[in-house]
Amino acid sequence: MKTDHDIKLGVSLYSYQDNYYFHRLDTEGCIAAAADAGAEGFEIFSDAMIPEWPYVSDEWIDRFNGWKYRYNIEAVCLDHFSDRAMWHDKLLTDEELIERSKLYIKTAARLGCTHVRMLHDNHMGERISDKFPPYRLADAKICEELLPYAAEHNIVMALECHAPGSVADKCQEAYLEAADRLGLPFIGLQADFSTYEYRISMADLNGYVRNEGMTREVLEAMREFQTKCYAEKRGFVLDEFMPELEKIGLSDTDRAMLPRVARGEGPYGSNKNNSYETLKNYASKICYVHGKFYYIDEDGEVDNMDYTRILTALKEGGYKGYINSEFEGNRRMNDSGWCNEIEYVRKQHVLMRRILGYPEPVFD
Amino acid sequence: MEQTRRTSTNSIYEPYILTDIGCRNIWEAGHRTGYCFNLTINYYRGLPLSCIDQITFWVDGEQIDPEDMYIQHRGREYHYPDILKDDMATDLYWEFGGLLRVIIKKKGGIAQGIHHVKLILGTRRSYTPTMVAQWEKDMTIA
Repeated sequence: MKTDHDIKLGVSLYSYQDNYYFHRLDTEGCIAAAADAGAEGFEIFSDAMIPEWPYVSDEWIDRFNGWKYRYNIEAVCLDHFSDRAMWHDKLLTDEELIERSKLYIKTAARLGCTHVRMLHDNHMGERISDKFPPYRLADAKICEELLPYAAEHNIVMALECHAPGSVADKCQEAYLEAADRLGLPFIGLQADFSTYEYRISMADLNGYVRNEGMTREVLEAMREFQTKCYAEKRGFVLDEFMPELEKIGLSDTDRAMLPRVARGEGPYGSNKNNSYETLKNYASKICYVHGKFYYIDEDGEVDNMDYTRILTALKEGGYKGYINSEFEGNRRMNDSGWCNEIEYVRKQHVLMRRILGYPEPVFD
Repeated sequence: MEQTRRTSTNSIYEPYILTDIGCRNIWEAGHRTGYCFNLTINYYRGLPLSCIDQITFWVDGEQIDPEDMYIQHRGREYHYPDILKDDMATDLYWEFGGLLRVIIKKKGGIAQGIHHVKLILGTRRSYTPTMVAQWEKDMTIA
């Protein structure tokens, strides 16, 4: 369904990964499901739902374009994960990664996409190569070398800024500076809603109890403290609440896992880069957005992110582009029965349309 | 004993990597020469075969010698130790949701019936360390 909204709603087909993995829906089925949710566009993983990857035939491209026409939906983005660890004892060199990256850019253009989600070394704020050596993704130098090729194919390389980082982190500047210096505006910032989580999602909470034996009461208490802090518009700091959690009784597993499970302080925490105000300030400079979520509660709300505030910040800040759903509850919940990705994405789109004041889609 | 818990909350497809599809003996010219399992990937997308870090099997408690293992993918067969080498091709993708057939060569095959099978599957990804999934269950080998 096509609209003239500045903020367009779409779906990353990644959201339907269980449907694809377990052969309930093929690529066409996933595209149709996105259209049925009311999406105007979609994102596709090169190495998940393009069975011919890496050598995609014209015949497949033609079929793909036929689906776009049939379902009245556009292809927005192709994902490039910057895989480098091809062998146990050897990584791709920079030159080899650049060559490989060109294949993604070229294929994105053939698919009619406008963006490649370029997994970059500052994907999570800090450098991946510092956090998980020797993993090293596309850095600013590599992106700079790809700029002329991206420009030639009219493809924007979207740099996804994922939790614990954000679009405002200083480390993102080197990439943008390269685009400025060359006068080739084909690198842009991509926001991911994971930056704005304010409490643990029930999808994670139940998973930690089920799979890792954490104490339910402890996690539920922590979630209540996180909720309380958010309501008071302040950051959640685990240490502050440890004495309270100790009273419930912590197992060794709880103690070991809590710091990781608690994640960040939330949008009202000490790191102002992760605030709604900052998101609003950056909104007009952002080229693409991942509408991340894990769970939707009985009230139709994403249970650990404040979609009203996030979407309002983007709208008031003048964001123009796509918010593509990135449902990630599947992998958190699919060990305890079928995870209904179709319903989660559908409900999330109802929620986003309600917040943005968009009418419900009509299919006739 | 059936495994019921994932090794971590975020281990994605771990409970499903060891499929019951096509689990049977292999015959050649009237002789049983081995048996096979079909695996699906432990990640949310496909990966080149060269990104497989390990496939390790235990059948009825006994570890399978990697030298006896062969991988069948898109009509071709690779000796398992070869896909671990530094010159393995990087453009042969194990499709997301697709089956990777692992043949275990064994003269006389394996007794038809229920066997306890354990699998460790490690894959290298781009931005996080090698993901090691582990699953075990009773399987009926046809």
